[in-house]
Amino acid sequence: MNHFHVFFKKELRESVRTHRLLIILTIFFMFGVMNPLTAKLTPDLLAKFLPEGMIIELPVPSSLDSWAQFFKNVTQMGLIVVLLVFSGILANEITQGTLINLLTKGLSREAVITAKYAAMLALWSMGVLVSSLVTWGYTVYLFPDGKSHNLVFAVFCLWLFGAFLLAQLVFSTTLVKSSYGSLIITGAVVVFLNILQVFPGVQPWNPLVLATHNMELIGQNLEPSFFARPIGLAFLGCCLLVVLAVVVFRKKQI
Amino acid sequence: MHVLEIKGLHKSFGKNHVLQGLDMAVPSNSVFGFVGKNGAGKTTTMKIIVGLLKADRGTVTVCGEEVAYGHTKANRHIGFLPDVPEFYGYMRPREYLQLCGEIAGLPPRRIRERSEELLSLVGLSDVSRKISGFSRGMKQRLGIAQALLGEPRLLICDEPTSALDPVGRKQILEILASIKGKTTVLFSTHILSDVERICDRIAVLDGGRLVLSGTIGEIQKQYRSNSFSIRFASAEQAAEFVSLPELGQAGITVAQAGESLTITLEGENTHGQMLIDLLSAKQITPERFEVMEPTLESLFTEVVQ
Repeated sequence: MNHFHVFFKKELRESVRTHRLLIILTIFFMFGVMNPLTAKLTPDLLAKFLPEGMIIELPVPSSLDSWAQFFKNVTQMGLIVVLLVFSGILANEITQGTLINLLTKGLSREAVITAKYAAMLALWSMGVLVSSLVTWGYTVYLFPDGKSHNLVFAVFCLWLFGAFLLAQLVFSTTLVKSSYGSLIITGAVVVFLNILQVFPGVQPWNPLVLATHNMELIGQNLEPSFFARPIGLAFLGCCLLVVLAVVVFRKKQI
Repeated sequence: MHVLEIKGLHKSFGKNHVLQGLDMAVPSNSVFGFVGKNGAGKTTTMKIIVGLLKADRGTVTVCGEEVAYGHTKANRHIGFLPDVPEFYGYMRPREYLQLCGEIAGLPPRRIRERSEELLSLVGLSDVSRKISGFSRGMKQRLGIAQALLGEPRLLICDEPTSALDPVGRKQILEILASIKGKTTVLFSTHILSDVERICDRIAVLDGGRLVLSGTIGEIQKQYRSNSFSIRFASAEQAAEFVSLPELGQAGITVAQAGESLTITLEGENTHGQMLIDLLSAKQITPERFEVMEPTLESLFTEVVQ
């Protein structure tokens, strides 16, 4: 446990000094501000750019639109940024040889993997927290309509999906040498999960719904219980992938 | 007492058999030069010793403990300096040593004391900028500091001097020489003058095996050819000496270059005394009389042929 603690501290310091933390917090803060604003301004903008004399009935924006923006941005740009920022977290240390000094001092390889995953989770959590808090505050201010429900749970689902992808990223970085390789594998997994959505029998289990059906949860079109199986599976997946990453990394010749 | 013992070590990368039954023993408190051509397997051997690579066959024992790949128990006796040590560029030297000390499990006070000691040993006590701005030589010196942090009984350095300028090289060699007696040093190199400067034992690796090992004195004795170099006052005097019938015997070869002669004696009853007797009988005082020692370089080229 001690090695985990030491290496986790090192990872956090690295995130601060290499501006990883700054990048993630800035981007997620910007999402937070943009989400409600985009929802509020889109109808006005559309109306401005419409040809003269043309009239469309635009629905009045609500808090639902704001949260729709949140889930769209964070699941797409947000996750991509996080994966990009972390893609080299292990590959760089191996190719540059920075781990050699520490491993030969007895640093356990489990600690390397688990501390890196924990640091990724910490930054991802901070990003989600910042973005959702800002979105929430601004949305309540702009659209005090009370139409959005299950917010905490919906955000948690998205967070868990991110945690699952990060576990996938950690595992794939132990398999391939380059940071691009691990990104490609992680991308392939997302594509694979998307393909699985076609099969109705798989759908209720697919962790992908944690990132795609959040608005149904907020609009109360889906019961929270719908997510029980994907949550269980994603959680198991995280544990399994990290354990596998440790097993593979232990055997790796550096 | 041997700090490090290697027995029957084999390692292949694909079809490339790098180590083919390497046997080696490093006695404690020696400075051990591990010599070999580029690609001879020096780095591979060292990486197996510190548990970064897995041996195909054979055993490595450090301070009586067998090294098992994937376990780092034996590593507490070892300090390792890789050929190009890499650090986290965003850290400062003290922060880096602190990280290393925490991983090695040293108490915080000990880490601070050791860091100061070592930074002054390697001449980095006044440097507080980030490691990303360090030169190669500074990184190499910080590398030695991190390797010595846990007071290891064995310091393994992989070509610590090969990428440095003459000043940097001198500094590293001085540091290694200064820890002699406290720590056993095993260092690989292909720069023979470095070995001559600080090592008391050497081992030459070639074709995956040791082809030569022992103290430098022993080796030179073993390989000493019965050769002598004599310089005379003039070329005429040298020529006169060559023409003596005593030097015409079988087993004596003489080569003249100006006023100098190189004489090799191969016969059983001939040794240097005979030359001295001859000089004395002829009342010749040479300007120089020298028993020719084989240089490390000539030995090296001879054994790795």
